[in-house]
Amino acid sequence: MFWKLRPLAGSLAFVCLCVSAVAVDATPLTPEEMAGAARTDGLSIPMPGEFMASLNKLGKIDWSSKFRIPIGTNYTSRPQMALNLGGLIADGYIAIEAQDQQQVKNIGRDILTLAKSLGVSKDVLERSGSITAFAEKNQWDQLKEELEATQNEVKQSMAEAKDQDLVTLVTVGGWLRGIEVVSGQIAAHYTETGGKLIRQPGVVTFLNERIDKLPDKIKDDSSVKSVRKKMADLQHLIAFPLDKAPTVEEVQQVNKLASDTLKDISKRQK
Amino acid sequence: MKRLFLTLLCASLTATTALRAATDGEVAARRTALDIAGAFTNDGFKLRDGYWAGSFEPGKPKLLQVNLYAGNQYYFTLGATPAAKKVRVTVYDETGKPVAIDDYQDTSVASVGFSPDNSGIFFVKVEVVDGAAADYCLVYSYK
Repeated sequence: MFWKLRPLAGSLAFVCLCVSAVAVDATPLTPEEMAGAARTDGLSIPMPGEFMASLNKLGKIDWSSKFRIPIGTNYTSRPQMALNLGGLIADGYIAIEAQDQQQVKNIGRDILTLAKSLGVSKDVLERSGSITAFAEKNQWDQLKEELEATQNEVKQSMAEAKDQDLVTLVTVGGWLRGIEVVSGQIAAHYTETGGKLIRQPGVVTFLNERIDKLPDKIKDDSSVKSVRKKMADLQHLIAFPLDKAPTVEEVQQVNKLASDTLKDISKRQK
Repeated sequence: MKRLFLTLLCASLTATTALRAATDGEVAARRTALDIAGAFTNDGFKLRDGYWAGSFEPGKPKLLQVNLYAGNQYYFTLGATPAAKKVRVTVYDETGKPVAIDDYQDTSVASVGFSPDNSGIFFVKVEVVDGAAADYCLVYSYK
C-alpha cells in the first residue's frame, strides 16, 4: 500500500515545498569554513554520468564512437584490477549513452569478472542480472542509476573486506576514463564553453590526496606509479582559473595524459 | 521504478551499516530525503546513489564540498529527523558566495535547485534553523 501511494505522496510533498519558498541566506562562507568542509567519495566526486550529461548539453554526440577496444580482465595485481574496474564502469556509462544493449551486456560481464577477481561479495555479483534486464528493456535512465548503485556496492564490499585503498583506485580509474572521453570530444569540436567543462580542481586535488595516502606497497605497483605521475600533471592542466578557458592544445594535452595513463594501467604487468 | 528504488534504498542502507553503524535517525532522515528527491525523477533528474549523513544542531551548520558541471541542473535535498522543526540547505560557489538558487523548505526537509554557470567546486551547507539537534541526510539529483 505504501509503495502504491509513494509517488503521489512524493509529488504532494514536492508541491508543498514549492509553496513555502523562502529567501536564501546571503552570508558568504569564510575561508576557514570552506577549508573545513567535508569531502566524501560518495558525493564529492561526480559520477561519469554527470560529466557526460554536461557534455550532452553542447550538442549531439556519437557515443558509440567513444567505445574502446575491450581491455583485459585477467590481471594479477589487485591495484591494477581496481583501476581497470573503475574504467570499465565508466565504459558502462558510455554504452548507456550510446544505448547499445550488447555493449552494456559485454561491459557488465567484464565488470563482474574483475569484481569477482577482487573478491567482491556474491550479493553484488547478482546485480549483473538486473543490468542485463534493464538493457534488454531499453531502460537507459534506470540503467544509469543501477550502474552507480553497482559501483557503490562494489566499493562497499571492498571496504568491508578491508580493501578501502582499492576503493580509491576504482574511483580514479573511472574518473580517468571519463576525462579521456570528454576531453577527446571537446578537443575534436573545440569551443571555449566546452573547454571550461574540464575544469575540475576539487576532484583532482581530492583524488591525488587519496593516492598519496595509499600504503607504500600499493604505491609501488607499476600501474599506480604511472597514475600518480600523470595525475600530478593533470592537476596543473585541469585546475585553471574560473575566468579562463583552456586552449585547444591544452585540452588535447589533457586527453593525451588520460589516454596514456589508461593504456599504462590496462597493460599486463610482467 | 519501484523495484529500482527499493534496490537502491536497501543497497544504501546496507552500505551505511558497513562503513559505520547508521543510527536509526540517519536512516529515517534518508527516507525523508528520498521521498522528496524521488519526485524529481519524474522530471528526468537522476538521483545519485551516494549520500551524506550525520547529526547537526542549531548554530552549528555542516558543510560539504561537491564538484558540479556547467550546463547540468542540480537539486540538493536534505532530510532530517523531526527534532529539527525547520532546516535549510544553501549552495555556495568556490569563493564562498551563495549562488542564485531556488529554495524550498518544509519542516524537516528542504531542497534547493540550480544550474551552475561554471564547472568546479561548490559547497553545500545544511543547518537547523529552528528546533533541536537532529540527524540529517543529504542527497542530490542531476540532469
